[in-house]
Amino acid sequence: MPMRPLAVVALCLFALPAPGGTLDLFASGEDLATGGFLAPELTRDGWALEFSRILATFDEVTAWVTDPPFAADGPVISGSALAFGGPMTVDLVDADADDRVALASVPAAPGHYNALSWALVPAQEGEFAGYSLVLEGTARKDGREVGFTLLTADTAAHACGEYLGDERKGFVSGTAGADVEITLHLDHLFGRADKGAEDPMNLAALGFDRFAGGGRHEFALAGLHIGHVGEGHCHVAQP
Amino acid sequence: MSAKGIAMWRSPRICAAILAPATVLAIALAAALVPVRGLAHAAFLEAEAVQAIRLTARYDTGEPMADARVVVFAPDAPATPHATGRTDARGVYLLVPGPQPGRWTVQVRQDGHGAIIHVDTGAGAPMVVATGAGAPDRVQRAVMVALVVWGALGTALYFRRRREGVVDASG
Repeated sequence: MPMRPLAVVALCLFALPAPGGTLDLFASGEDLATGGFLAPELTRDGWALEFSRILATFDEVTAWVTDPPFAADGPVISGSALAFGGPMTVDLVDADADDRVALASVPAAPGHYNALSWALVPAQEGEFAGYSLVLEGTARKDGREVGFTLLTADTAAHACGEYLGDERKGFVSGTAGADVEITLHLDHLFGRADKGAEDPMNLAALGFDRFAGGGRHEFALAGLHIGHVGEGHCHVAQP
Repeated sequence: MSAKGIAMWRSPRICAAILAPATVLAIALAAALVPVRGLAHAAFLEAEAVQAIRLTARYDTGEPMADARVVVFAPDAPATPHATGRTDARGVYLLVPGPQPGRWTVQVRQDGHGAIIHVDTGAGAPMVVATGAGAPDRVQRAVMVALVVWGALGTALYFRRRREGVVDASG
């Protein structure tokens, strides 16, 4: 039966998984979300912040293989798209040791997923339905202590280039998966006391003084640009 | 080995007598084989003309990214750092691509901000295929990385460092 070995080989080939790996999606508010704003990294106006929850809702999350690499210079990304879908609401305080929260995982063809698009959108359900980003916690300054719940209902579409950090991300091979990350820079919201007062980020950041009465406050995302991919930048569009 | 023999080997005096010549011989051999810095009479510095790409990194405010961390990735291993270094006070880093053609990627990062640039090299002139600087934005404080000079038009001297890739010696 000379055909038998060939048949076995053919069956084995059919049984093998399709080439490629898994692409995992994470979100992170970095150590400012999990550890808070602690000296010397206080808010630009000197408040220490500790968060109990930071709820962010993401939708239309898509990883892209782009060539030439997308430079985050506009709202449109051209390339091969891999959808993670959404909406997904995540608590950035409840993160792993690397300050990351796993959001989704999808099979991916080999390639370098070097661009990521996503939108911050209002949650459709839950305790904070109607809000895209909610920050809840305690603020302290000069012996004062106030509880706060800060909310925004704004939508912001992000078109981001490659993740920038201690390692390059997004390389899916025939045998290994990879990951991509949505990163929210909270210091763009509150500023940082350890930066200069004239630092462009501090000039635009809200700080915390305006919320010092404690309780529930709404804010707008316009011009704050908190969405990144690691230290890499995103084009942001708000309706 | 007898108990007496063992006792002899445990004797410090006997051991020293036997080991001392061996130690002297070992030291003599080591001295002959290993260069001793203190005995050196000259130092050598090699220089050669190479083709280079000069990168300038700055914030969108125009401020140079001085002493920023640079990581270079080669075409054949795009996920593994090929070389690391730092920009100079002007935000300048001199990239000397290796012989392998393809896409060279350079990351420049400092203080939570970063930028990335891709340069294709091959038979023709190198070409910047993308620079991930982001749109100029006062809040974002985007980082700009610009390819300023291609060494094919003017070569640059460079010196090798032990742990870093390249330093700009072009002045």
